Amino acid sequence: MLSVKTKKGIKSNGRIAIVLDIEFNAHKEITVLFGPSGSGKTTILYMIAGIVTPDEGKISLGKQIYFDSTNRINLPLQNRRVGFVFQDYSLFPHLTVEQNISYGVNVNTDRAKCRKAREILSLFRIEHLAGQYPRELSGGEQQRVALARALASDPAILLLDEPLSAVDIATRSYLLEEIISIQRRSGVPLIYVTHNSAEAVRIGDYILILSNGRIAQEGKPLEVFNTPQSLEVARVVGTENILMGRVLEHRASEGITTIDLKGCQLMVPYKALPLGTQVTVGINSEDIIVSREHLTQTSARNVLEGRVKSIIRDTEKTELVVGCGVDFKVSLTAGAIETLGLQPGIQVYLLIKARACYLLS
Amino acid sequence: MIWPALKLSLLVASIATLIVSVIGIALGFILAKRDFHTKELIDSIFTLPLILPPTVTGYYLILLLGRRGLIGQYIYELTGWTVTFTCQAAVIAASVVALPLMVKSARAAIESVDPKYEIVSYTLGKSELQTFLRITLPLARRGILAGIILSFARALGEFGATLVLAGNIPGKTQTMPLAIYEAVISGEDVRAQILALILTGVSVAVIYITNKLSRPKINI
Repeated sequence: MLSVKTKKGIKSNGRIAIVLDIEFNAHKEITVLFGPSGSGKTTILYMIAGIVTPDEGKISLGKQIYFDSTNRINLPLQNRRVGFVFQDYSLFPHLTVEQNISYGVNVNTDRAKCRKAREILSLFRIEHLAGQYPRELSGGEQQRVALARALASDPAILLLDEPLSAVDIATRSYLLEEIISIQRRSGVPLIYVTHNSAEAVRIGDYILILSNGRIAQEGKPLEVFNTPQSLEVARVVGTENILMGRVLEHRASEGITTIDLKGCQLMVPYKALPLGTQVTVGINSEDIIVSREHLTQTSARNVLEGRVKSIIRDTEKTELVVGCGVDFKVSLTAGAIETLGLQPGIQVYLLIKARACYLLS
Repeated sequence: MIWPALKLSLLVASIATLIVSVIGIALGFILAKRDFHTKELIDSIFTLPLILPPTVTGYYLILLLGRRGLIGQYIYELTGWTVTFTCQAAVIAASVVALPLMVKSARAAIESVDPKYEIVSYTLGKSELQTFLRITLPLARRGILAGIILSFARALGEFGATLVLAGNIPGKTQTMPLAIYEAVISGEDVRAQILALILTGVSVAVIYITNKLSRPKINI
């Protein structure tokens, strides 16, 4: 188990920009460290690897103490046995793929070294790349070689710093599966840094949300993404609809609390708050259904009338902005938009289950 | 008097280049990788022979290594030998004037290597020396090779410091530049021209061959 409890001031332009005050444990699985750019994710990996020295605290992996400020222990990075994969992979440009991998193999004889390198090449299915130089490889191939090299040194922990940010979307999911399967087979605990929520949910057994220099929430990725416990976490995990309002009335018997959003009313799961209390409601854009007709016979507690304001299309998803007094973002497939003939100005109804709305404390 | 001078010149320049390469790469590495407050002072001292007239460098070397010199007196006391007016003196003079070029090139070349490669090597369990020999040095090789060529060229052309420290003894300390100087002042124009042509030819050949050898098979 990796145990981290450290403080570190990160300087930017000579002044301390963020103070990291981190405490977490990571087990024999894949732990995702999630947070926006510039939140200090990479610095945390650097502290674990021994590239950056914490101001104070303690870092240990199992019985091995990496860093302990009270006992003045700071294990040199050569002795920490961490497999590090940088964002840009940093493959040695003057060595071939096979040489890159065998460089990391720490065995005595040349023959054993060669055998181990061959083994790893075949494990990653990159035997055909053995004689090539890094500049001849695609991003995805470089990523696999970097991971293979990290694993070749027989590490006690793998640290991956946004390893898929330089890879095209088509290759990404394939590589994610591969990282998972390699982790499962090797049993080496893995820390995966990313700011991509899809990657985080797919790969993570456990997730740590980093915000303002501390771990703001942790747990199973889907749970954390679906029910952020605070506005701060909702912003970080990218909850698309964050709406401000006041408690209007309670219907405890129905399990409902109504929130006035200044423009429309929203029913959310019952919560015993004094009337008039200011609250923030979060709704994921995937949890809203769009209908052209006004449905009455439906289990959705909220049926809101509105007009399509705009349609946002990008490579990964299509999003509708619907004005119902306040603006809602709704995630739809391109097919649904076509079938419903949606375009700006058209009247629609939004169906939102009360359970899909959660109050951010 | 042509062949002995050419042979001596090549020998002196080669030995000097060898010495300068080892010391220069080590110094370049320390200056590139270590932080200590006398760092830039040390860099300046080793750069000095680049700026000073070679005769002044030679004079300093006499003050340091001569029979009554700062270090030389002890060597003389212990061994009864002094370096001045020997062919070793020619090597020392050539080395001292060529060293700044090597240190500057090596430092710049080592500093230009992305430290990430070294960090990766450390995470793979490699020591600083292993990392230097197998990662940093190969990645810095073009700059270092350029430094070696420059050092050799500088050592081959060395005149002032050699004259002051080693003198101008034909067959012993008379290198090509000194032989050319002597031919010119004694009015032997033909000999001077032949010597100058040979020195030019050798220099061009060395640089041409080294350039060819150093052209990398892979572009980084």
